[in-house]
Amino acid sequence: MTQSPDATPTARPHYSPPSQTSRPQPANLADILERILDKGIIIAGDIRVNLLDIELLTIKIRLLIVSVDKAQEMGIDWWRNDPMLNGQETTLADENRRLRERIEALEAKESGD
Amino acid sequence: MTETGRYLYAIARGLDPQALTDVPALAGGHLEVVEHRGLGAVVSSVDLDEYGEEGLRRNLENLPWLEEVARGHDTVVQATATQAPTAPLRLATICLDDDGVRERLDAWHDALEQVLDRVEGRMEWSVKVYARPRPAPAAEATRPAASGAAYLQRKKAETEARQADESSTAMIADEVHESLAARSVAGRRLPPQDPRLTGRSERMLHNGAYLVEVDEGVAFSALVDELATAHPEVVIEVHGPWPPYSFATLEQT
Repeated sequence: MTQSPDATPTARPHYSPPSQTSRPQPANLADILERILDKGIIIAGDIRVNLLDIELLTIKIRLLIVSVDKAQEMGIDWWRNDPMLNGQETTLADENRRLRERIEALEAKESGD
Repeated sequence: MTETGRYLYAIARGLDPQALTDVPALAGGHLEVVEHRGLGAVVSSVDLDEYGEEGLRRNLENLPWLEEVARGHDTVVQATATQAPTAPLRLATICLDDDGVRERLDAWHDALEQVLDRVEGRMEWSVKVYARPRPAPAAEATRPAASGAAYLQRKKAETEARQADESSTAMIADEVHESLAARSVAGRRLPPQDPRLTGRSERMLHNGAYLVEVDEGVAFSALVDELATAHPEVVIEVHGPWPPYSFATLEQT
C-alpha cells in the first residue's frame, strides 16, 4: 500500500513527535478500527446509524480485523464470498431465489406424496 | 439533486484551518473547520447517498469501504492532532449542515473543553505484549508412553507446565502495564486482540494504551525497550504516537 505524502504533515509545531518514534505507516487496520469504532467521542449527529446494528462491526470485525492485504495473504477472504459484505447483493438475491425454488420443489414433492 | 452532509472527524481548540489544506478528506472533499465558542470541528462534505442512514448501513458491511473510510478518518484525526489539542470523534458522525455542527459544539461545549484539557500536549502510545511460542515438546515426550499411567503422568506434567507458563507470562503483562502506567499520565488495558485479527500466532497477553506527554515520547519508548530486554520470554511492541483516541471520552453524566 502506498502512502500519500499528504497524510503526514511535515510541519509539526510543538506537537511534533521525534522522527525516530514516528508511527510506522500504514498503521494496522485492527488498531485503527479498535480506536475509531470503540473509542473517541460519541456525539449523535443527524444521521443515526447504530454501529451495534452493523453485523460486520459487531461480530466479524471483532473476530477478524486484519488488513485486506494481510487477510488475503492468510487466505481469509470471507467478505469476497459473503454477498452482504462485498456489495454484491445480486448474489444474495440469486441465492434466495434458488432457496425459494428448492422449498417450492420440496413442498410440491411433499404434497404429491 | 444529491444531498450532502457534514462529516465530523474531530474537535480541536485553537486549530488554524489553513494547517489542514493539504490533508485529503473523505470522498475527494476538502477539509474545513466549523468554529463555535472557541472550539473547531474538522468537517468535510459527503454525499448522503453514500453516508446517509441507508447508505451507511449498507457500506459499513463492506470491508474494503470500511477500511478506506477508517484510514481516511484516522489520517485527518492524526493531522489535526499534530496541530492542536484534539478530541477524535467516532467513525461516521454526520450532521446535515454547519448549523447542526454548531449545535453539537454548543451542547457539548463544557465536556469537550474538559476532554481537550486532559489530552492537551499529550499523545497516545499503544503497547502490546505477546507470549513467545512455546518450544516444541522434548523428543522423549513425542515417543509413545510405556504405559497408560506413564501417559497420564506425562499429560499432567505438560498441563502443569503450561499453566505455570501462562501464569508467569500473565504476571509479566501486569508488571509491564504497571511500569508503563507509572510513566504516563493515564493507562488503559484494552481487550487483547484475537490472533486472527493480528495475523500473528502468538497469544496477545496485553493490549495497553497510554497517554504520554509529547516531550516524554522518547523516554516512554526507551522504557518499553528496557522492559523488552528485561523480559525476553515475551515479545513487547510499541506503536505510536496516536491521537488520544482511548483517552478522549466524554464523561458519562
